[in-house]
Amino acid sequence: MISTGSELLDVTLLSLYVSGMATILGSAIGIPLGALIGLKEFGGKGAVKTLTYTLYGFPPVLSGLVVYYVFSRAGPLGDLGILFTPTAMIIAETFLVIPLVTGITITSVVEVDRSIKDTVKALGASSSQSIVTVMREAWVGLVMACMIGFGRVIAEVGAAYLVGGNIDGETRVLTTAIMLETRMGHFEWAMSLGIVLLSVALMVFLFLRLLQEREML
Amino acid sequence: MSSSGVIEVANCYIREPSLCSKKHIGVNMKGIWIAVAAIVVAAVVVGGAAGYVLMTEDDEVESLRLATTTSTYDSGLLDYILPVFENETNCKIDVIAVGSGQAIELGKNGDVDVLLVHSPAAEKDFVAAGYGESRTLVMYNNFVIVGPSADPLNTENAKNASEAFQKIYDNGTAGLAKFVSRADNSGTHSKELTVWSTLGYNKTLVAAFPSSWYIQSGQGMGAVLDMCEELDAYTLSDDATYYQRMDENIIPHLNMTYSGDSALFNQYSVIPVNSTIHAHVNHTLAAAFKNWLVSEAGQDLIASYEKYGHQLFFPNATPQTARVASLLIDESMDVGEGVTRGWNSFRVLRWTDSFPFHAVH
Repeated sequence: MISTGSELLDVTLLSLYVSGMATILGSAIGIPLGALIGLKEFGGKGAVKTLTYTLYGFPPVLSGLVVYYVFSRAGPLGDLGILFTPTAMIIAETFLVIPLVTGITITSVVEVDRSIKDTVKALGASSSQSIVTVMREAWVGLVMACMIGFGRVIAEVGAAYLVGGNIDGETRVLTTAIMLETRMGHFEWAMSLGIVLLSVALMVFLFLRLLQEREML
Repeated sequence: MSSSGVIEVANCYIREPSLCSKKHIGVNMKGIWIAVAAIVVAAVVVGGAAGYVLMTEDDEVESLRLATTTSTYDSGLLDYILPVFENETNCKIDVIAVGSGQAIELGKNGDVDVLLVHSPAAEKDFVAAGYGESRTLVMYNNFVIVGPSADPLNTENAKNASEAFQKIYDNGTAGLAKFVSRADNSGTHSKELTVWSTLGYNKTLVAAFPSSWYIQSGQGMGAVLDMCEELDAYTLSDDATYYQRMDENIIPHLNMTYSGDSALFNQYSVIPVNSTIHAHVNHTLAAAFKNWLVSEAGQDLIASYEKYGHQLFFPNATPQTARVASLLIDESMDVGEGVTRGWNSFRVLRWTDSFPFHAVH
């Protein structure tokens, strides 16, 4: 139960840490993957895209369950002993970010690609030069992809609870704290924590928005 | 970006970098802002990491992972008793509060060191299969039937839990009442099934009760009580969660309509995970924790925990009561034969220093 300001701060910081790391890792994998799928021509491309979009709906609890089985002591990587740590939570959340970032990246680069491909080629760009150009032009979409990924994981509770365990002072994040307070019947307190979570998300998004409006991102 | 803009930029980057010269300042500004953004993002992440490190800086002390049921944690009991043990043994207990079914599964996989749960049949299987080292009784509280305040089915005057359930069944099938089941493999769910079994309905038959009156929610206890409030339905609840919900004034239209059958005894046990199967578990600390829970100090502490004006848990592990408790619980209660025993016969198991052993009989 969260009863002091410093506990609330810890829980909020851990939420930011887990979601931030998952967004960074997920984007580091998702953006190149999305660019590859979007820009390269290969057999089965349609199927890969459909699969990616399907995974938008990947249930967080399922991601948590898979990570649980892999890192459980009885599982293949159990000896690492990372179950019920923020690391395990980051891994589970990263799997939720990857499809979103990949999919939005595909959409963004395909759109940019369509409008400038011929121009760029006509200007005599090499293929790596044209990829760099497309990615620069798709920048707004890529930032959007990261924001949506961040939005998904900071609000996620199923995987965080399953692989984190909601341990007080160790793996309790805002969403699992909200769930706990609700379960304990402290509805008002749970709602207050929800407002804290939304405020944190608002600050992150406002900042990115500010940068975008100034065309800095 | 407009297509002319695109061409301009493309032209700029690819063909004639010098054409970009008029934008150089802009590009540099953009670079600065990207750097600022990167620094802020890094600061957020590092800040989070630092917070996390600060939180876990006491990690040098030994830690014990305890998987327990939501009722012991949500009622505040663990927050009340665990700090005492942590201070005495200079350790930290990581509590993972889940349903009894999930807690036992965590124990099977060796992901926790010790269990504090309330699902006797599943616990015995767990120990018999070798996953648990031993099962030691710690304390009990009571299951009660909760329903609409007016108690339209008059369960209050039922002779025992089975008769109350029969009333609910009869009125339910007649379309006059509703019952919300946990239906989640929890300790409470398994107790509910035990009562149904006294009426001849096994697990399969219960699961096939029509959803018109028998609602299989799959929710936690608090959420089930909230559903009953909305649906004017009956349910079986542990009294701790009921008092808690009442105290928060979330379920004003519900009442404890039936209590007092010894069949509704809710036994909690502690089970250290078997270290011969899972070598990495902290067996020493798990055993110390078990011994402390059943020690006079531990039992006294449990008995002294009161909330919502009620004692929530009744310790029954002390040497002098353990024999009686095991007689009642292991030989009778678990198999549902304790139904005919009077409420008072186990009520006196409430642990006190001066409790005379012979008075139980």
